[in-house]
Amino acid sequence: MSTILRTLRNLRSIGLKEYGHQMQYMGDTKRGTFIAMDKYGNKYFENLEEELPLRTRWVDYKDKEFDPSQIEPGWHAWISYNVDLPPSQDKLLQRQARVWEPKEHIPVMTGTRSAYRPYSTTKPKYSAWQPTAAPR
Amino acid sequence: MALRAKPTAVTLQPLRAACISSTSSKPAASAPAVSKPGIVQGNPGTPLPMKAITGKDHREVALPSQEGTKGVLQYALTTADAVANWARQGSLWPMTFGLACCAVEMMHLSTPRYDQDRMGIIFRASPRQSDVMIVAGTLTNKMAPALRQVYDQMPDPRWVISMGSCANGGGYYHYSYSVVRGCDRIVPVDIYVPGCPPTAEALMFGIFQLQKKMRHTKITRMWYRK
Repeated sequence: MSTILRTLRNLRSIGLKEYGHQMQYMGDTKRGTFIAMDKYGNKYFENLEEELPLRTRWVDYKDKEFDPSQIEPGWHAWISYNVDLPPSQDKLLQRQARVWEPKEHIPVMTGTRSAYRPYSTTKPKYSAWQPTAAPR
Repeated sequence: MALRAKPTAVTLQPLRAACISSTSSKPAASAPAVSKPGIVQGNPGTPLPMKAITGKDHREVALPSQEGTKGVLQYALTTADAVANWARQGSLWPMTFGLACCAVEMMHLSTPRYDQDRMGIIFRASPRQSDVMIVAGTLTNKMAPALRQVYDQMPDPRWVISMGSCANGGGYYHYSYSVVRGCDRIVPVDIYVPGCPPTAEALMFGIFQLQKKMRHTKITRMWYRK
């Protein structure tokens, strides 16, 4: 819930520049503690005291064209309230990546040139008849 | 067929004649000769060059994605596109075509937890006033004409989100006698949301992808190219 007093309080806390940035990206004025920045450059914030439930953790995207799939898996677990500690403080999430794990996070590429295109790996059930005639 | 029964006796007669006269024992001398081996008469040949069809000279044009944003005109067109796309993506009014259980997830999108109203999305019962149609659920053969009619009643610009595996490609009912195997056989689809049913988050992500698609639509730029 946003009231004038809350907006003014948060504006006083974060400053005019950050206020414009947040209105451009989130459409809301929030203040909180900066948790960490992930490998891509997204910044994560938390304010457990003043915000409503399910709005206490938020992300400040690096890209102007942001997308929820740009959040890395560990941070996704944190921002979805699956875990308590962010990956920067969680020992379990700071382990080495397994060999079968992808080296870096890839967001959804729908609409770009790198979009996934399905293809069939099975042999076609029929093939077109090639008209060949023996020379006479 | 004559071709399979007597492969040695088959001559270079036209393919169509060979198929029709499956049991005939026509003499080979009546068949017309061909100029080159391997090319059967009656088959479509190589296509004509483009100039012969359109009557215009061939001209190399850069792809739309290769066009830069240089120059005053490009800047103006890009800005006009940005404004139009911003207005389009700001208030999507979906025509809800709830057909099955996916519609329940679509309703969850409008509940306070996901709160589609904050993005200006309001469910609209009238196709005349809606921008995007969310096909949520199994599209049956009986419903297909109604779906197409509702799509035709929507004003341009219009988009379609196919939600759930039944709408994407038939899904569980792909082999049913009464189900359309994908609503893209009826209407052109912009975004496919996978899932059975997709969660409300998945549908919301699909809406975000549609907004991304709208953002990159080159309205006035394509008009200027033409």
